Amino acid sequence: MSGFDTLPGAWMVWDGPAPAPGGAVLEQTRELDKFLGEIERRAFRMAQVALRDPDDAMDAVQDAMLKLARNYAARPSAEWRPLFYRILENGIRDLQRRRSVRKRFMVWLPGPKEDPDNEAQDPLESVADGGTPVPERLMQDEALQKLESSLRELPPRQREAFMLRNFEGLDVAETASAMGCSEGSVKTHYSRAVHTLREQLGEVW
Amino acid sequence: MSDETFDPAISALEERSRALFRESVAGLDMGTRSRLTQVRHAALAAADRSQRRGWWLLRPPVWVSAAGVTAAAVLSVALWFGGPSTHHGQMTAADTQSKFEDLDIIASSDESSGDAMDMLQDDIDFYAWADKTANGEPTA
Repeated sequence: MSGFDTLPGAWMVWDGPAPAPGGAVLEQTRELDKFLGEIERRAFRMAQVALRDPDDAMDAVQDAMLKLARNYAARPSAEWRPLFYRILENGIRDLQRRRSVRKRFMVWLPGPKEDPDNEAQDPLESVADGGTPVPERLMQDEALQKLESSLRELPPRQREAFMLRNFEGLDVAETASAMGCSEGSVKTHYSRAVHTLREQLGEVW
Repeated sequence: MSDETFDPAISALEERSRALFRESVAGLDMGTRSRLTQVRHAALAAADRSQRRGWWLLRPPVWVSAAGVTAAAVLSVALWFGGPSTHHGQMTAADTQSKFEDLDIIASSDESSGDAMDMLQDDIDFYAWADKTANGEPTA
């Protein structure tokens, strides 16, 4: 929690980021811009794997960026990555919870059901920039789809541990900080995730 | 990546999945990239505003001065009524009444300063007599 807290014996206490002098603020903004620019695409893809919906994924990333920038910009930059992913994972969990409540509610209402796999999209928006040949591309797409679908079937904590460790490259301590659990739990979640994926994806994958 | 004993199959899975993920990140469409850039800029603007707001809030605003003056006035009145009394620290109704009267005289001194002076003049003879009596001097 940041901002103002009322304490007994005091009117208001500012517990948000300590204001920095002008030059330092500019330098900090530049550093934060660089950091967010480096991770935004991976963060978006990780959110998309978890949420399936690109708009929801964008919302989750936007929320995480805003919260990090508003509340933790003054923290040492080494802390930003675990903090950012902690905020992002919390946001993803909130969105999933809201979505499940909405689904339960929608069951009782008449009308067409939601189908997230069959959404109309602007074809130009899905044009990728890669120069990979078409057959290879198709094989990659298929492998990626299998991977994503297996990741979605994992329990959320295992999926988080796998993506943070393997995709984002966080070490055990950083992953523990991002997930808000012990390093031992991270190792357990990660090990279970890897073995489940191995079973689901098969030998040839 | 795995902290367990090295298993080539697990290691291959980790590498393959990582490569696929990175490929998918590199292949993000222009629309998504553009939206991410916009989102980042909005977050940085919000952080900047937050920093500025921090400065503004730490500066003492005008109402703090006004509140200070009011608090001083309230404290003065409290001290006036809460001052030492002759009855072991307890204030009697008479004391309170007296202090209210004093306060009333002070507050209305502009209008009734003539009356106050008249009262003082009337009592001068009495105080002179009392002084002489106390010192054992003969009175008229």
